[in-house]
Amino acid sequence: MRALSVLVSVSLSVLLVACSNPRQEVTVQLANDVLLPAHQQWRDSNAALVDAVETYCAAPQASVDDLETAFYQAQSRWSHLQPLMVGPLSEGNRSWQVQFWPDKRNMVVRQTESLLDETDSLTREQLEKASVVVQGLTAFEYVLFDQSVALAQSHDRYCPLLTGIARHQLALSESVLALWNEPGGMLAQLRDFPNERYATAEEGLAAILRTQITGVDVLKKKLGTPMGRLNQGVVQPYQAEAWRSRQSIENLQASLQGAQAVWERVRSLVSDAALVKDIDQAYADVANQLAALPAPLMELVQAPANSETLTTLYAALDNLENRQQTELARNLNIQIGFNANDGD
Amino acid sequence: MSLTRRKLLGAGAAMAGVAALGGWALWTGTAGESPLLLSARNDDAGQHYAVGYYLNGKRAFATPVAERCHAVARHPFLPVALYVGRRPARESYLIDLRDGRLLQTLRSQPDRHFYGHAVFHARGEWLYTTENDTREPGRGVLGRYRLDPAVLRLTHDGEATTHGVGPHELAWMPDGESLVIGNGGIRTEGGSREEMNLDAMAPSLVIMSRHGELISKETLADAQSSIRHLDVAADGTVITGQQYHGPAYNSVPLLAIKRPGEAYQPFPVSRAQLAMMDQYTASIAIHSEQRQVAMTAPRGNRFFIWDLDSGDTLLDAPMSDCAGVGAVPGGFAVTSGQGKCRYYDSRTAEVQSQWLELPGGWWDNHLWLS
Repeated sequence: MRALSVLVSVSLSVLLVACSNPRQEVTVQLANDVLLPAHQQWRDSNAALVDAVETYCAAPQASVDDLETAFYQAQSRWSHLQPLMVGPLSEGNRSWQVQFWPDKRNMVVRQTESLLDETDSLTREQLEKASVVVQGLTAFEYVLFDQSVALAQSHDRYCPLLTGIARHQLALSESVLALWNEPGGMLAQLRDFPNERYATAEEGLAAILRTQITGVDVLKKKLGTPMGRLNQGVVQPYQAEAWRSRQSIENLQASLQGAQAVWERVRSLVSDAALVKDIDQAYADVANQLAALPAPLMELVQAPANSETLTTLYAALDNLENRQQTELARNLNIQIGFNANDGD
Repeated sequence: MSLTRRKLLGAGAAMAGVAALGGWALWTGTAGESPLLLSARNDDAGQHYAVGYYLNGKRAFATPVAERCHAVARHPFLPVALYVGRRPARESYLIDLRDGRLLQTLRSQPDRHFYGHAVFHARGEWLYTTENDTREPGRGVLGRYRLDPAVLRLTHDGEATTHGVGPHELAWMPDGESLVIGNGGIRTEGGSREEMNLDAMAPSLVIMSRHGELISKETLADAQSSIRHLDVAADGTVITGQQYHGPAYNSVPLLAIKRPGEAYQPFPVSRAQLAMMDQYTASIAIHSEQRQVAMTAPRGNRFFIWDLDSGDTLLDAPMSDCAGVGAVPGGFAVTSGQGKCRYYDSRTAEVQSQWLELPGGWWDNHLWLS
């Protein structure tokens, strides 16, 4: 591919203004202090997952506890990252390689088992060529937690897959991190304006906020889907994200914290003190309600007695989304979406 | 200044022999101005506009309209253009390009709605649109309208089938008499945008005479790839852009090519590039002189330029919600739904980019440059 060179014609006076521009300062802070560290922590959790799976698979009698802990952590770091994944991870179908959700037709089970049936000892190349359905944390979770899998008795069958997925996740996260850190990469594109991606800091900040607001919308889907909101009210416990590991609520909490980390940095730009208070309160409402849930989500949705609690939580998430999507966007004069959301 | 009757009659007389006169050179905007960019646009409050901006950033007009428009059909020589209502609009707007005056609100026929695209015939008398037959939802209709140059009004004159389901963009083949049409293959009903047949889509690329006769009808391997947007090179090469309605993680061709005398087939694009498009392509523009094709992928926030003949990538660059693209001298102008518009100079191996002094954001999917 031929290189792209950007004609930059910015006068010194514009540069001086840009340096003291609060929006540029916040954008740079977000990139350095929130977005990049979240990607780094995701990478580190994948490295720990590789270590844990190699240790587990090397010892036939090993306890699975450490591996489960490493999996929880990798899943949590990924959840935290989702409202923050502006740039490379959101591009090129990469996020599908991390997690396959929603899985409406239980494809993870069918494709995982059929891949293992077709191969003696799964190689890295075979996994790389396989569908994204079997390359990510959802397939890993199936093997680790599904009651139909007797992992302890089937190391030969499943360990090559677990090892392969963990290494794939590590390689993926390292490649994404490289795209952040390389000269002219994502970090530079959120720091030095104009650049190949953004004409101004304003555009970079808008992209971060859009990603974060989309992330909050995804939280509504992750809660609403098992509640049956997309299924005429009929609950769908097995459509909950991470139902096998019973980590749905913990993942929601991690994502909420990721979204809130953006809000904490953006808050200083908001001119309306009442709106700041409202959004702070909206985050607190969701966080408090999540913390108070007494059981895993896939269990909660099956008991009608919990319906009101979950509906109230959904409304709190909806309120948070609306506050940010309409009032915050208006206050900051940030455009949320157009053709990409509603094209033709 | 308004169009006088004498001028209009003169233009009307020109319609008969305009092909020999060089067509649209009769009116190309104010002397000395940069190219005029026509597009649908919104504002922050959600108001829809039919706009004209010179590429140097100067606004020619911004006319409020009731329906959101999609593409623009420029008249070949009169200073008018039809801003075509977006699916399932029942209105399109004929605009005077000199001052933005709304000349006519063109209403669709009963049981028809517009699909967002239209073209004027080179002699200037006829306009053709893609439409939906809402009595038989999805049945593609080629609406035919006659422009009365004396009063600058379009009148429905008849229709033909597009020989397919859910037609979208249409363009002239080099003979100026036959049309290439992307039948998206998706059935929508009444005033809805909801897709009713994603498991039984029937997209097709049709070439037909403007009078209705089918010349060719071809399909792609994947029936869930909706053939929507296209452009035609001076030599008759057609490039289409698809929108895939199957699983988001699948990798399927999203561009296709029909070279003169050859079968319609996927245009060679790498899997890595396909993955960057998020299964959705928007505008296609061919630069015939430079033998290049450009495409916007607003969901993937990505803009591409390829060599039309070799398929080599000239540019693969991020661009937020990139929308309309059009060929201009030296390269392409690209608008954005969310950010600043750009000019890409693709004359040399080093494709160069410049931001345009146009207002940022809210540009709709297509543009027309004249």
